[in-house]
Amino acid sequence: MLTALKKQHALIWAFANRDFATRYRASVLGWAWSLVQPLATLVIFAAVFSIVFRVQAPPMGNEKTSYAAYLFTGMVTWNLFSSLVTLSMTQLKSNGELLKKVHFPAYAPVLGASIVQLIQVALELVVLIGMFLVLGNVGFTWFIAIPILIGTALFAQGIGLILSIMNARFGDVMYIVGVVLGALYFLTPVLYPMSLVETHSSALAWVVKLNPMSWYVEAMHDAMYTLTTVSVLEVLALLVGGFLVFWAGFSIFNRFSEDIGEML
Amino acid sequence: MSDYAVEISNVGKRFMRSSERRNSIKERIVRGQGKRAEEFWAVKDVSLNVPKGSVYGLIGHNGSGKSTLLKMIGGIYRPTEGTITSQGRIASLIELGAGFHPEMTGRENIGLNGSILGLPRKEIAEVTDEIIDFSGLREFIDDPVKHYSSGMYVRLGFAVAVHMKPDVLLVDEVLAVGDEEFQRKCFDHLYSLRKAGKTIIVVSHGLGQLEALCDEVAWLERGTLQEIGEPTDVVASYLKRVNAEESLKNPLAEAKRDAADHEGGLQSNLRLKSVQLTSTDGTALNHAETGTTFTIKIGMHLDDTVLGPNVRIALQHESGPLVTMVGNHRLGFDFSYVAAGDHVVEMDLLNNPLLPGRYRVHVDVFDHTGAKLLDSWNDAAEFPVRSASGEMGQGFVQLQAEYRLK
Repeated sequence: MLTALKKQHALIWAFANRDFATRYRASVLGWAWSLVQPLATLVIFAAVFSIVFRVQAPPMGNEKTSYAAYLFTGMVTWNLFSSLVTLSMTQLKSNGELLKKVHFPAYAPVLGASIVQLIQVALELVVLIGMFLVLGNVGFTWFIAIPILIGTALFAQGIGLILSIMNARFGDVMYIVGVVLGALYFLTPVLYPMSLVETHSSALAWVVKLNPMSWYVEAMHDAMYTLTTVSVLEVLALLVGGFLVFWAGFSIFNRFSEDIGEML
Repeated sequence: MSDYAVEISNVGKRFMRSSERRNSIKERIVRGQGKRAEEFWAVKDVSLNVPKGSVYGLIGHNGSGKSTLLKMIGGIYRPTEGTITSQGRIASLIELGAGFHPEMTGRENIGLNGSILGLPRKEIAEVTDEIIDFSGLREFIDDPVKHYSSGMYVRLGFAVAVHMKPDVLLVDEVLAVGDEEFQRKCFDHLYSLRKAGKTIIVVSHGLGQLEALCDEVAWLERGTLQEIGEPTDVVASYLKRVNAEESLKNPLAEAKRDAADHEGGLQSNLRLKSVQLTSTDGTALNHAETGTTFTIKIGMHLDDTVLGPNVRIALQHESGPLVTMVGNHRLGFDFSYVAAGDHVVEMDLLNNPLLPGRYRVHVDVFDHTGAKLLDSWNDAAEFPVRSASGEMGQGFVQLQAEYRLK
């Protein structure tokens, strides 16, 4: 797999370049727009959940509490996952005309699109870091966030690759995925702290704990928000787990994308 | 290393009829795998070898499997059975400009398309200028291609594809693009690629083009190979089949006339009865072929003996102009006394000089003095002329001529 990726890196970059160049070319404010949507969501959710529902965030590393910062930490991680999944899913279809006519590795446009999406995630991360700097919540545990986010990206990309090939074959996959992602969002401790679910329903808490995205989001909360160290074993598990999902997704993708020219 | 750029052995490609394809998960679950979809073999048991440095043509009707075969060579489809081995980089002119993104400039698209076609970044940079010059779009190369006309789009696509230094170039019916000047440029480029030892595989309906360009031609029909060989031979037998099939479909070029049809007012003892086109061996025809002798047979009935009638045939092109009028008197044939009864006048049109098109036949008969019209039959018959070589030619007739340079 790695040799294949290395061999095709120029092509993957070419697609990334295309998506980068075209993504915001038509709009004046360009990349600024890409931050408007997550920040607007943040403001609305923070207002609704902290004021109306009175959700209490756990204390930060500096003993203070900020629901908005807690929420945004989870959102950045979740957005990384869900945007890679949904973006990857539609790539084969949107590059269909090309795939039907020229023979080239079909994962190239999928991975290229994801690379550009990572820039968006990085921008969100910069805003998050800025937010913590203002709040005075800084710690060395931040570095742990790097392997966790890499693990999240690999995990998301693996699933995205599988879904993209399924979506090329079956027209209704994207609708099902839309519903499942919506449900999964609420089964991940993004809007609420884990402790809140545990006090209300242990059955529901189990469901949330079984959701892999909870693992990544909770690890990010530890590293960025509460500034507690995450065990090496856990970080390794998240990273290797993400890699294994990516490897599986890549293999399945290649196995089924050989007839992509006919499938679309 | 083999001497063949592409080796195709026993290749077949099966498609499932699309109406039977299960495109949603629900259908898949509800109907399961139980009922087999209807199979359709687009290509069946095809074996052929394309020698290195040759230009190889594929001909056949629409739906004969030519394009499917080309797509398999290009790796877009996988053969259901058999193997295709190829050597070197394959570039495809199957769809020009397929990879262009409308928001990107011409220059950016050259880079992207180059990558998709598998050329390393460094080499793309080297040929970019050449591509821009070839396309003749230097002025517009930094504009987004969404502002290009369709002609400009295709020109850039062609320029990119042929400059990807392919070892094997696949060309599918794209030679009919651009204006006259650009087309000539494309052909010149194909010739120069051929000279440089590249292999070119062409699918085309332009049989004349293929005969001029190809070293070898394969003829496919309903997915199976009919003939491989010299372009002229294969094209000839292909056209023979096409013409034969058309003969089955089209009515024969013949007409009969009832007594009631005769124009009133003509006081004569001769009546034209029928017109028929036949080959020289007498089989009825529904069309004539340029360059091949055929016969026009005119049936007539005489109540009395007639002296030296002049039977004239006028041929009118479908677009209106009278192409020619021939009569036996002018050509020096005198029938002398023709007895009462039924007769057939046979006229052999030697090495048929008529170019492809539809022609109408008018017949009239004068007496030996040329002063008295005995009978006249307008629009007696109509027949098409086809060309064995596929050339259409200009005008109505092909004159026999010889050239000398002094």
